[in-house]
Amino acid sequence: MTSFQSSLGEDEGIAEELAESQREISIAEFFEKNKHMLGFDSGARGLVTAVKEAVDNALDATEEAGILPDIYVEITEVGDYYRLVIEDNGPGITKEQLPKVFGKLLYGSRFHARVQSRGQQGIGISAAVLYSQLTSGQPARITSRPKGQSDAQYFELIIDTDTNEPEISVDETTTWDRPHGTRIELEMEANMRARSQLHDYVKHTAVVNPHARIELREPGLEGPMKFERATDELPAETTEIRPHPHGVELGALIKMLEATESYSISGFLQEEFTRVGKKTADNVIDEFRDVYYGRELSWSPPRAHDDRDVADAVADAVANKGATATAAFSEGIAETVAGGDRLSRSELASIVDDVAETVAGDTGKTFGRTVRGNAVDAAWRAITGVGGDGDGTGETGDDEDSAGSDPGEPPLVPDVYALVDDATSTRKDDAVVRAMAEALARRFEDLDGDAFRITRDDLERLVADAASFVAEQHDATFGETARGNVVDAVWSRARTVPDDPPKVRDVAGDRDTAADLLEAMRATDILAPPTDCLAPITAELVEAGLRKEYDADFYAAATRDAEVHGGDPFIVEAGIAYGGAIPAEGSVELLRFANRVPLVYQRGACATTDVIKSIGWRNYGLDQPGGSGMPNGPAVISIHVASTNVPFTSESKDALANVPAIEDEIELAVREAARELKSYLNKRRSMQQRREKQDVLGKILPEMADKVSEVTGRPRPDIDGALARIMNNVSVERERDDGTVRLVVENHSDVNETLEITDIVSAEPTDLSDGTVVDMDGEWFVQWKPEVPSGDERELTYTVADDAEFEVSVGGVETEKLTVNA
Amino acid sequence: MTTESDARDELIDLAADFYDQFAAGRIPELELPTRTKSNIEYDTESGVWTYGDRTSVRSANSVNGARKLLKAAFTIEFLADQLDDDRSSTLRELYYLSESWDNDEAQFNSQDESNDLVEDLEIVTGVTREDFHMRPEESGAKVMGPLRIREQTNRGDRDIHCQLDVGQGGYQIPNNPDTIEFLENDAEFVLCVETGGMRDRLVENGFDEEHDALVVHLGGQPARATRRLTKRFRDELDLPVVVFTDGDPWSYRIYGSVAYGSIKSAHLSKYLATPEARFIGIQPADIVEYDLPSDPLSDSDVNALESELEDPRFQTDYWEEQIELQLDIGKKSEQQSLASRGLDFVTDTYLPERLDEMGVL
Repeated sequence: MTSFQSSLGEDEGIAEELAESQREISIAEFFEKNKHMLGFDSGARGLVTAVKEAVDNALDATEEAGILPDIYVEITEVGDYYRLVIEDNGPGITKEQLPKVFGKLLYGSRFHARVQSRGQQGIGISAAVLYSQLTSGQPARITSRPKGQSDAQYFELIIDTDTNEPEISVDETTTWDRPHGTRIELEMEANMRARSQLHDYVKHTAVVNPHARIELREPGLEGPMKFERATDELPAETTEIRPHPHGVELGALIKMLEATESYSISGFLQEEFTRVGKKTADNVIDEFRDVYYGRELSWSPPRAHDDRDVADAVADAVANKGATATAAFSEGIAETVAGGDRLSRSELASIVDDVAETVAGDTGKTFGRTVRGNAVDAAWRAITGVGGDGDGTGETGDDEDSAGSDPGEPPLVPDVYALVDDATSTRKDDAVVRAMAEALARRFEDLDGDAFRITRDDLERLVADAASFVAEQHDATFGETARGNVVDAVWSRARTVPDDPPKVRDVAGDRDTAADLLEAMRATDILAPPTDCLAPITAELVEAGLRKEYDADFYAAATRDAEVHGGDPFIVEAGIAYGGAIPAEGSVELLRFANRVPLVYQRGACATTDVIKSIGWRNYGLDQPGGSGMPNGPAVISIHVASTNVPFTSESKDALANVPAIEDEIELAVREAARELKSYLNKRRSMQQRREKQDVLGKILPEMADKVSEVTGRPRPDIDGALARIMNNVSVERERDDGTVRLVVENHSDVNETLEITDIVSAEPTDLSDGTVVDMDGEWFVQWKPEVPSGDERELTYTVADDAEFEVSVGGVETEKLTVNA
Repeated sequence: MTTESDARDELIDLAADFYDQFAAGRIPELELPTRTKSNIEYDTESGVWTYGDRTSVRSANSVNGARKLLKAAFTIEFLADQLDDDRSSTLRELYYLSESWDNDEAQFNSQDESNDLVEDLEIVTGVTREDFHMRPEESGAKVMGPLRIREQTNRGDRDIHCQLDVGQGGYQIPNNPDTIEFLENDAEFVLCVETGGMRDRLVENGFDEEHDALVVHLGGQPARATRRLTKRFRDELDLPVVVFTDGDPWSYRIYGSVAYGSIKSAHLSKYLATPEARFIGIQPADIVEYDLPSDPLSDSDVNALESELEDPRFQTDYWEEQIELQLDIGKKSEQQSLASRGLDFVTDTYLPERLDEMGVL
């Protein structure tokens, strides 16, 4: 994808819907009917939407070309209409691309591509083109100058509303002062009632795209609104990813099945989805088999004391193979069966095949399909005790050649009893367990075919049915938990069938089968999708964006790690600006962004708003009337959700849907930034208290010192030491004794401090005990950076002429904490 | 006892302590015993309750602490000047006088604050407020009984007999009873009475004459002067002391402060408290025995009684028994409820009986 400036159809839902409607009505009519959905429901909003689509397009186009965006937006009044001009410094656009990008409303149905792009956010620039054409009758005027070309190309484009085909009516060479880029001019019926939303949109776009330079001119502005670039760093390039198996819908899956060139499901899964290799595909297919075919129940081989003998049964079923081969065959099967645990009919069949091959190799006798089939039937009857007459259903127990020594014990019951007994609590009456086992065994016998194939849903139904039968007959409850345990026990001992899954074209042609496949995909554990398809702004640039547009005292930002919501990776970022020129009255300003696009409308319906309201902001130092709801105070909170598929509440894409996984991440990101705000506010508060304390004590203590010196008749004591100690301060004091100067640093605070002390001396100091001296035109700069542990002191001495003068400056410590007497 | 110049020196020494702390680069502070119920201890030697070892520090480290110390410095200066000029003032005057100080931060916000500060200074310097020439607002109570004293007044020494030379109201105890000299006495015992009404009844009935009693009016919580004089009666004249109050928890505290010292002035207990003083009534047992008219105990009465059970000063068998009995019967009676048996009942029957029981008469 290079310079296709429209990305309409990122969302298959709307594309399908639009495509469907399009067949029946003209595009103009369709537009008229759906303009609320497309963001053109009023003149005021139409203008904002048009600007939004055009700016989003321009940003995408420039970024894809690796160019730092420089975007110019101009709105002017032209008679009864408004003219909108958007210029970018992108790669320009060729004549061939032109109709696709600006004209065709339904272009670009790449429904299974997953990439984070702005284009997801709206219906695309083509809708703006159509809106302008429908309201003003004017064509879209487009000027384009591809990079390196000396001339620009000027086009006029209109859309044939009957055929939805764009037509280029004018195509001529022109000159343009931009070295490369695209300029779009649209005239439309509009008004400026949504001016504040327009300003918000442009300002917020600048906040969230600190690498872009944006200029806005409109009739209500005295001068242009300019938003300068805060970084030269382009957003990280995003890679397109294939969809994740957990993130597709049935409709999309069917379309993918129809479109794929793969023949097998396995190939389809590996080709079309991310994070699916051979092994994962096999896991999905196993799940698919279970859903689609059901599993085969497995049964224990006959025990030594049972009458049913696998070897005899097989021997009876084989004819004309000679005694040796027959014996080898029948005993081989019997031994293998007896050596294993439970087995299903399919497993038995594969044992029979194995043994037949071996015996054929040893004796030269071939056991053909029919013989093997007979052997499987016979052995299966011997194992299960069911299906003496070969049809595998119904009348069984009293059949001569399969009945056990105990004619009262129906077939299957011992196995089922063991499972049910295991799965139910020990408090269950044994008679009830037995009745349940018998009821269940009877129902298993009645299954179609003799392989006991059953889907999990059917199994659940069957167990429920048996349980209600038992409840009726024995007046015992067989509750939901017990039923669930029995289903789990039986299911876990049933075997996935070896049958090949249906082919892709069969799945594509049958909605139920496709639904089975989707179910299997969702049920399989699959690695979360890769996250390099996302381009977070990064905490650093979120902060830079805020810093650029808000004159605040404090900024904080946080970027979370990528998370996944239904197959789509997403990243949440949050930023907070506080204080400074941000108005302190009323609630905080909330900036919402999805894939770097500001969300301007429907704030109240947005998940971000819900999350902000649910946080206890008092804990973070913001006022929040009633302890919930929007916090008050001089703060701006920005939230950015980047995803390959941002979930919105509606097609107009103004508000994020309440998806718990995303809400959780929003909350964590906001709290992360808010914690920084809290510590800033705490520090500020404690600094303020410190200042107040310092002010009061700075007044009281000297007075107290005066008073005690008056009472005692002694000279006024030096109280700086006491003051510094009281304030947990760092004090810097000069003592002078003949030619020796001592600078003493005492750290009364509870943390270690590193100071930067510069003493400017009017005569040359010598014998420095520490630090450095620099001669600056007859003034000597003594520089000293002592590190003073809490509660400790450091001393710098030097020798200097008696008449020397000093000027000391101290850095490295907050002024509130510093007492300098030097 | 300290002399005036001693008192002044102690104050200046305290200021000098602050000075030295400043000069040493330390934070000025004042260490005081913690003045709570849990920090008073029985002093076996003197038999009174004094402050324990726990101390609190008023430090200039905090804004409030610094304000307190600033006020202390100003007060020290004021008191030192007052002693120099041989003037005196009341606690309330100190509070108002602070308004004239040229420093807003040094002015007192309430009289409680200035009272507390003066008490702090007493504790730290070991000088009583009387020696600072600070008087309480309320005048001392009155004494009536067979005793001749000499009081130093501004107008020279006066000899006064507390029965013959005084009116029905009795002899007014001066603010500093240490200015009194005992000359002669025929008294047998001291009877401290809580209410004015009961004192007047005893005087009208001639109880002091009949039994040679020194009747001291306490007037609610007794002033320091009253307690000091009572102690001097006991120590210097060797007279037994009994205390006669209402039969309710608040009155027991009046007895407590006479006998054991109060929590607020525990630093002066040795000087003010009369540990030999005994409680005569109204006892809860009397309410039962004499079937006195009574009121039910209120919730706050019950709380006060329970708190007294925890009070170290009341941890004796006698008081535990009485307080538990009172909690049990749930009643309290006033002194004057004895009038239900006639106006003379208290002087003819109740007191003689109780004094006899106690071995005083």
